Amino acid sequence: MDILNKILPFALVLLLTGCYEDFTPDTDSRPVLCLNALVKAGEPITCEVSRTHLYSSVDECGDYSVADATVSIYVNGELKDDSYIASSGDRVRIVAESPMYGSAEAEVTVPEAVPVGDVKVDMEPVSLWKDDVPGYDMLASLSFNLKVEMEVDDPPLVENFYRLFFYYSYPSTEGEGDDGIWDASRPPLMNFNIGTFQYDAEPIFSEHIGVFESVMGGDAYGFTCFSDRQFEGRTYPLHLQFTGISYSVNSELFDEALMDCDMTVELISISRSYYNWANYLWHKDNGPLGDLSDSGLGEALCGYSNVSTGAGVVAAMAASSYKISFADFLKKEIFGE
Amino acid sequence: MKHTLFVIMILCAVLTASARGITVDADNRAAEEVFREIMEQTGKNFVYQADAMCDVKVTVHARKRSLKRVLSDMFSGTDVRYKIRGNDIVLSRRRLRKSPPPAAVRYYMDAEGPRELEEVVVVASRLGASAVETAEIGAKRLSAVDVRRTPSLLGESDVIKTLQFEPGISGGTDGLAGMYVHGGNSDENLYMLDNVPLYQVNHFAGLFSAFNTEIIRNVDFFKSSVPAKYDGRLSSFMDVRTKNGSDTGHHGSGRLGLTSGAFNIGGPIGSRTTYAVALRRSWYDVLSVPMVALVNASNDEEKTRFHYYFMDLNAKVTHRFSRRTAGFVSAYFGDDMLRTGSKDLFVGYYDDDRYDMHWGNLVVQAGMNYILSPSVSAEFTAAYTRYFSKMKHEESIRELSSGNDEVDSSTSVDTRNNINDWIFRADFDWNPRGDMQVRFGAGYTRHSFLPSRTSRRYTFGKDERYSRDSTWAYGANEFNLYIEDDWTIGRHWRLNGGVHASLFNIDGRTHGGISPRLSASYRPSRRWAVKAAFCRTVQYVHQLSQSYLSLPTDQWVPVTGDFKPQTADKVSIGADWQSADDRFSASAEAFYKKMCNLVDYRDDYYLQPPTAMWNSRLTAGSGSARGMDFKFGKNTGKLTGHIAYSLLWADRTFAEKNGGKTFPARFDNRHTINVLLNWQVSDKVQLGAAWTGHSGNRFTLMTQVWDVPNTGMSSFDDYVPLRTNLNNYRLPFYHRLDLSCTMHNSRGYWTFGLYNAYCHINTVAIRLSYNDLGQPVFQKVKLLPVIPSISYTWIF
Repeated sequence: MDILNKILPFALVLLLTGCYEDFTPDTDSRPVLCLNALVKAGEPITCEVSRTHLYSSVDECGDYSVADATVSIYVNGELKDDSYIASSGDRVRIVAESPMYGSAEAEVTVPEAVPVGDVKVDMEPVSLWKDDVPGYDMLASLSFNLKVEMEVDDPPLVENFYRLFFYYSYPSTEGEGDDGIWDASRPPLMNFNIGTFQYDAEPIFSEHIGVFESVMGGDAYGFTCFSDRQFEGRTYPLHLQFTGISYSVNSELFDEALMDCDMTVELISISRSYYNWANYLWHKDNGPLGDLSDSGLGEALCGYSNVSTGAGVVAAMAASSYKISFADFLKKEIFGE
Repeated sequence: MKHTLFVIMILCAVLTASARGITVDADNRAAEEVFREIMEQTGKNFVYQADAMCDVKVTVHARKRSLKRVLSDMFSGTDVRYKIRGNDIVLSRRRLRKSPPPAAVRYYMDAEGPRELEEVVVVASRLGASAVETAEIGAKRLSAVDVRRTPSLLGESDVIKTLQFEPGISGGTDGLAGMYVHGGNSDENLYMLDNVPLYQVNHFAGLFSAFNTEIIRNVDFFKSSVPAKYDGRLSSFMDVRTKNGSDTGHHGSGRLGLTSGAFNIGGPIGSRTTYAVALRRSWYDVLSVPMVALVNASNDEEKTRFHYYFMDLNAKVTHRFSRRTAGFVSAYFGDDMLRTGSKDLFVGYYDDDRYDMHWGNLVVQAGMNYILSPSVSAEFTAAYTRYFSKMKHEESIRELSSGNDEVDSSTSVDTRNNINDWIFRADFDWNPRGDMQVRFGAGYTRHSFLPSRTSRRYTFGKDERYSRDSTWAYGANEFNLYIEDDWTIGRHWRLNGGVHASLFNIDGRTHGGISPRLSASYRPSRRWAVKAAFCRTVQYVHQLSQSYLSLPTDQWVPVTGDFKPQTADKVSIGADWQSADDRFSASAEAFYKKMCNLVDYRDDYYLQPPTAMWNSRLTAGSGSARGMDFKFGKNTGKLTGHIAYSLLWADRTFAEKNGGKTFPARFDNRHTINVLLNWQVSDKVQLGAAWTGHSGNRFTLMTQVWDVPNTGMSSFDDYVPLRTNLNNYRLPFYHRLDLSCTMHNSRGYWTFGLYNAYCHINTVAIRLSYNDLGQPVFQKVKLLPVIPSISYTWIF
């Protein structure tokens, strides 16, 4: 935690303090069954059944799966077999049982995928470098920023949680000249990087950060989950900003296919358990509560679980996506077309 | 444990050492001057009526004599009579028999030094008499001398840390000025400065309290029998009374310590007016300069900022309009400022991170004291108390790779919270006859709460986004009415009964509270008394804190929504004993306390959205505490001090916490032993020792872990701790010895201190970590080894 890291060293120097001593607590420590599953709409269900273990126990392979466990899947109260494909709206209850560790169960409703609404894309060049060198068709480097305003049409009368996810792709320049575009003996050097995503640019990504966390330096970095509690049943425009997107190419034989770069933005509808798990992870890793808990200066931060044994998370999701192509922009900026 | 027993045996042996003597040399000197010398050597207060001693001259030559002997010699041949009552020496003159009873008008002389004669009417310390004589259980009066004599961390004497050595009080986190009374929470103590509440009583996360010892005259503390005058908190009431300026000359002191300095001065302004001013300020901002420079010199990529100070300013002016009327105006301003952050400069990247925190208290009050008749006196007070905190986090990021030197983006979060009270009060003191004292009064408080107001601003190039949220402002009206009768019935009985009624109006709803109080004492002989008490307290505000530290992010919030006022019912029985010569005293107390409508954070409260009402994160429940306190003290002589033992069980039950199951309170310290000793080695040298040992605090230790689920979210750790019962583990036995040595010279005195003298580094927590081989291990987190301190106090 940023601010704690800054304050504590000075406080600790003043107090000439701080040491640790390894020990083994003499407390009762009985393992229970752990059930983890991510139910995806349109896909079969995969469960991981393991057991809890004493934190300090050293297992060479670190495998705590429970081989003799049986898993039953109930959908809307009806037992299903392995061929079941999850559908949005299904109420899925997963029950795991083990002769040694007892049983564990959890229920989750598969959310509806919310289609991406209107999307406005704005790309702004920051810098361009080009050179004409004999023997090279193309030597260029472009840096640009990207703004995306993407509308989320929140379905009314139901509590919705979302996660925004994005990934990008660009043409492969390895191997035997994919699609015969370029000479395998003289492959182009090409790079595309999506740059920095500005988490702070969209306030909804900070909605889980309270005053305490905020003042202690907690920020939304890495966190793109949000709820509809501020726009329930309405349309919300997500402001997505990327800076420092870079494209460079160094090719003796240039083909426009080298500019077929794109980014896919996924709007994932997630279950409450998924959202809570993400929230817990943020507090543990990025918020002050984890540090305070570790140092004995705050209440213990227990792991979030929606499983009956308190171990494991059964979550669900359904995704819709939108692809943004950069090819036209790259051509325009580099070739001036 | 062997070490523990050894230390106890040594301290017990020392306690039985020889008596101390008083050395004084006076030839026909003003009695009040001689009183001051005796007070400095003994810590005793002289109590007498106004002007009663103005014309008294005394002659006494004593070297290492007992107090009684010195007093007998001093007053022989005069019409002054004395009586030693606990820590007070009550004086009267035969020719003044027709004056009002001493209880109605008391004039106190300050015990703690700077040479002054003080005047307090009506609401001075009510704990002047020894414990055997009163009906109250668990009441304690401290003087500034008592506070100063207690060895403390970094040599900063502190009234709360002194009280931590009393039975029934847990100190909380190691080194901090916390107070958890009889299994209560930290926000269940009402801290008052001259009878006006202070909401934030800590500096530097609780390392020091807001009460500057230099301005303290005396402290009244109640934890079992609570006078009907006080209400509004469940566990304890502490009223710090500040000094008046001397009316005989300008006197004061200056202190330089390792971490702070203090200066105070007081004196007359004309013949009827006095003033007193005290200032304390920390040096951390100065001390941190070379440390910051060292840290920054070793790192080219990151430059750290750190600037912290705290200060306290007290000022008081008193004016005596006539023999029957006096008035005062006083102010207190406590201030903490923390500025920290860093500048990170990486290749193509510049990050400027700033945190500014500013918090503190402001108290202003004016009062008038009237002696309406020989048997009735009154005090009228108007006061304003404010707690505020402002926190700001700014971050500017410049990406140099863009070839643009301008700031690319910046984020600013600005948060403030405060509470403002306007208080108007009238208190009366009526002595209908010599064996009865009736106190009654009424008050009105206008509360204004702003638990949180946060604004966020984000700029990126020309784009700017601004939002403001959590604007929760509340106004509340509180009315109080109380009456209390302190009645001595014959030679053996004493009763103190009363009731405090209150109304708390907020959001169109009005909560009422009736708090009956009753204390009874039966005194079969002059030496000892048995007592019983019942006390109900009601609390309408509570503090929300997400850490065990005292931070400016802590919020005071009123009872709203479906939550009801918190209440506590406490039954106590006890006994007090005192030796014939007042040298020794002992007390025992057993209590049971039931607390209802307590509030605390729910399980997984942090999953609730911050935009929701704070109530959505809370759950209501109950708690109970029971236990016994014992104390044996040696009050006079060369060696003074006490040994205290406490036995405690404390638990909590909340519907939405720990799965609804009852769990032990965090400071459910089963056994606590405190030993406090002061040894007057010579006229110039005084040694102090304080040893504390208690069953470890409760801690939630999660021993079992489970595998991280595969949800596509990254996690720092590859395990997740399994929820377990709250406070399921008791930390190891805590013990510590603090030592101090005070050496006087002609101008003042040096104080040397050793905190945790035998360097037993105590465990404050247990964390899940890894050893050098990368294997997961449980680790005890230990804090505070031996810490020396030094300070010099100059008296003028």
